[in-house]
Amino acid sequence: MSTPHVVVIGSGLAGLTAAHRLMAGGARVTLVTKGLGGLQLSQGTIDVLGYAPGRVERPLESLASLPAEHPYRTIGAEAVATALGYLTDVVVDDLLAGEAAQNVWLPTAVGAVRPTALAQPSMLGGQCVRGARFVIVGPKQLKDFHPALIAGNLARTDLPDGGRLDARPASFDLPGRDHEVDSSGLTYARALDDPAFRARFAAAVKPLVEPGESVGLPGILGLKDRNAWRALQDLIGHPIFEIPLPPPSVPGMRLNETLTNGLKAARARFILGSKVVGFAADGDVLRSVTLGEAGRQVVIAADAFVLAAGGFESGALDMDSYGVVTDTIFGLPLVGLDAPLIHGDYWGAAQPVFAAGVAVDSSMRVLDGDRVVYANLRAAGGVLAGAQRWQELSGDGIAAASAVIAADSILGGRA
Amino acid sequence: MRRLSADVVVIGGGATGAGVVRDVAMRGYSAILVDRADLAQGTTGRYHGLLHSGGRYVVSDPRSATECAEENAIVTRIHADAVERTGGLFVVTPADDLEFSDRFLRGAIDTKVPVEEISLAEAFKREPRLNPGIQRAFAVQDGSVDGWQMVWGAANSAKNYGAQILTYHEVVKIDTADGAVKAVHCVDRKTGEDVAIEAGFVINAAGAWSGRIAAMADCPDVEVVPGRGIMIAMNHRLVNHVVNRCVYPADGDIIVPVHTVCIIGTTDVKADDPDHLSIPRDEVQKMLDDGDLLVPGFREARAVHAWAGARPLVKDARVSATDTRHMSRGMSVLDHAERDGVKGLLTITGGKLTTYRLMAEHVVDQMCEQLGDPRPCRTADEAVPKSESGANYLVTHRLGEREHDRLDDQVLCECELMTKKMFVEALDEQPRGSFDDLRRQLRLGMGPCQGGFCSMRATGVALETGHIDIDRATELLRLFLKNRWIGLWPILHGEQLRQTALDNWMFHSTLNIDHLPESTQEVAL
Repeated sequence: MSTPHVVVIGSGLAGLTAAHRLMAGGARVTLVTKGLGGLQLSQGTIDVLGYAPGRVERPLESLASLPAEHPYRTIGAEAVATALGYLTDVVVDDLLAGEAAQNVWLPTAVGAVRPTALAQPSMLGGQCVRGARFVIVGPKQLKDFHPALIAGNLARTDLPDGGRLDARPASFDLPGRDHEVDSSGLTYARALDDPAFRARFAAAVKPLVEPGESVGLPGILGLKDRNAWRALQDLIGHPIFEIPLPPPSVPGMRLNETLTNGLKAARARFILGSKVVGFAADGDVLRSVTLGEAGRQVVIAADAFVLAAGGFESGALDMDSYGVVTDTIFGLPLVGLDAPLIHGDYWGAAQPVFAAGVAVDSSMRVLDGDRVVYANLRAAGGVLAGAQRWQELSGDGIAAASAVIAADSILGGRA
Repeated sequence: MRRLSADVVVIGGGATGAGVVRDVAMRGYSAILVDRADLAQGTTGRYHGLLHSGGRYVVSDPRSATECAEENAIVTRIHADAVERTGGLFVVTPADDLEFSDRFLRGAIDTKVPVEEISLAEAFKREPRLNPGIQRAFAVQDGSVDGWQMVWGAANSAKNYGAQILTYHEVVKIDTADGAVKAVHCVDRKTGEDVAIEAGFVINAAGAWSGRIAAMADCPDVEVVPGRGIMIAMNHRLVNHVVNRCVYPADGDIIVPVHTVCIIGTTDVKADDPDHLSIPRDEVQKMLDDGDLLVPGFREARAVHAWAGARPLVKDARVSATDTRHMSRGMSVLDHAERDGVKGLLTITGGKLTTYRLMAEHVVDQMCEQLGDPRPCRTADEAVPKSESGANYLVTHRLGEREHDRLDDQVLCECELMTKKMFVEALDEQPRGSFDDLRRQLRLGMGPCQGGFCSMRATGVALETGHIDIDRATELLRLFLKNRWIGLWPILHGEQLRQTALDNWMFHSTLNIDHLPESTQEVAL
């Protein structure tokens, strides 16, 4: 087919990556999304694999040892490396650094040490290595960042390299907007795009830092201005790094904006706020999807479709009150539904329900047993069965790699 | 070893015990209440929040019905800040026999429970979501009550009269000598310290656990059968009045609007151990079906949390409840002097939260009688602290408060509008409190996100107060999430499963909470 029209459903990392790859390959893309996508709920880095279940140092090398039903076994390390390279070089240049093959260890907002593959350059100063000296600093008006909690836990953690680091807390008074006592991270991020506010922020932080220390700050250092953190670092005069907060995630928003703006600039059609409420198929060929828009329904026909709508977190998968799990978009056959789906041990094994989803072949076409359900439907990201994305720290790599495979197979007519 | 003494030691910090300690303190006795856990952590905190109008019992238990009607008015007045005057409806659903509703109406007249039949049009006006097939509707004076708030109100009143309230003090031994109770020995579970309390008189109000307490004073065979009932909180107030099914008391026959949620209850299944109550999936399904009959679509609404409580039901083979003159079948007092030859010990059990004050009055009257020291009960005459104004709870009260302090204070829990100041003040009062102890007073983590956003903030703020160190702060966070899960997993589906996915994403992925440093010892309290 010449200039195929592809409908991508979902605007998280999987949907956005697939749309980019398809556009770059010459397809016409309509991206349909109910919400704003999952990136702004994420930590704003690209994980490949953090735990399997032991700590993973070199994620690409560990993929082959995952269980057979894990999506990485279908995806393969090569596709992951390709996808992360694609994200780093083409899509979000200068917003992601690192390499897929080697994890780095960064602090979280409770002071845990967290592995990830690619991180934003503003975070990389926080690598948790032997002998590091951190001062964790935040404004008192930001309730999602508690320096004592972060520093306290970091300082008592046995690091992956076997050492320890020094961390101490400090805080200062500076509302995100004048007179606010309860400023959100997003408020700060917008304020920190403004050089005048940056100067006030830096002036408050600087006296709290001792020589030799790196400064851990909340992940709020600018939203639109990609260099806000560098400007702030210059003003403070010490190395600084960002620690991601719970949603809304400013680093995640940066990734989302970069990817979304790129698509819009390339003139992808972007339909926000529309849920897929129906579809039409001829045998094993999907013809169109129907969108529920305000007051009307819109039918969009296409040559190929990518289901990248996520799992339970987005509502793409649902469990009803009788315990029946469904794909709410195409009613696709699901796997991983053996009882019990939910168990009572919070700190025990990951809840089986969150590994439910669709099975796919090597080109991400959805399977019913051995049979391809629709020849022109691919799935990517959180809807794929077999991963415990949150415990494994595997969701980003799965999303990006499955999206790249799905896009490439549509473009190349790959089997 | 800490040594204390009191005229009266009350064992059990549920509604009954709190009522008893307030009553004895107001009558001028020195009093100490002990509970092995927090106040109202047992059955009192694990119920549906109904302040009975009496309507439920007008056919099945007329005496209880009358008592409920009388006590409803008193509790609404003396615990104004814990009681919302929602009003209630009894409705005959399409599945119910109209014949019972005639008996219901006759019973209400006989028992003096205020009941007014209203038109179906009026019923739908009051509760638009009601099953459109209902055949008959009656208005009653049901209310909803926050059991924790009520018990803390009674306990604080008792404190003002000189009583001591010792939570997390577990009774391990009761000394008797010369056929009378002499002392109660406890362990302070937060510090491990032994505490000996010399006691003139002991009132055992340990509910489903009272058999174990009686046995410590050599009073065997007080058999208390825990009757397990499950309840499910739905995300919204699907109804704003208490909605009762107009049938003989049965499972799943009531929806109670409490705070920002509404609660369906309940089941009644004999349990073996009141410390281990399950929430079986089949009972959850039954509650959802029953809810759907009262309010169609109930099944599709979002369930946020479930819990199980243990009703204490006394089966005493040796002596029937002694004071049948004063007692309805709902409550019983065991006089261990008569029953077991042990003086200075009474066990009170059974009853209902609505009649907790009356139960206390009865047992303290009996104590006074035995002491030959008649002193009048005054608990119905005086409001507890913070209820003096007589203004009843309104669901909008926190919104009103935030309207005043929204520019001065952070909101740590957006679901329940709990501020940093509220949290810090509660922690200052209970520096060794767990987040669940604070939750029971503040509703921390009880809204739709079930702690998703507030628990990390609470951990950080608690650490910053200096009351706890990093190790305890981290362990308290772990414990809180674990405890929230107990009431979440049995009901997870639909939107709450989706919420859980988001919460898991935040905790396990973004925060990587599974890989925080391990504590040397798990914090259980």
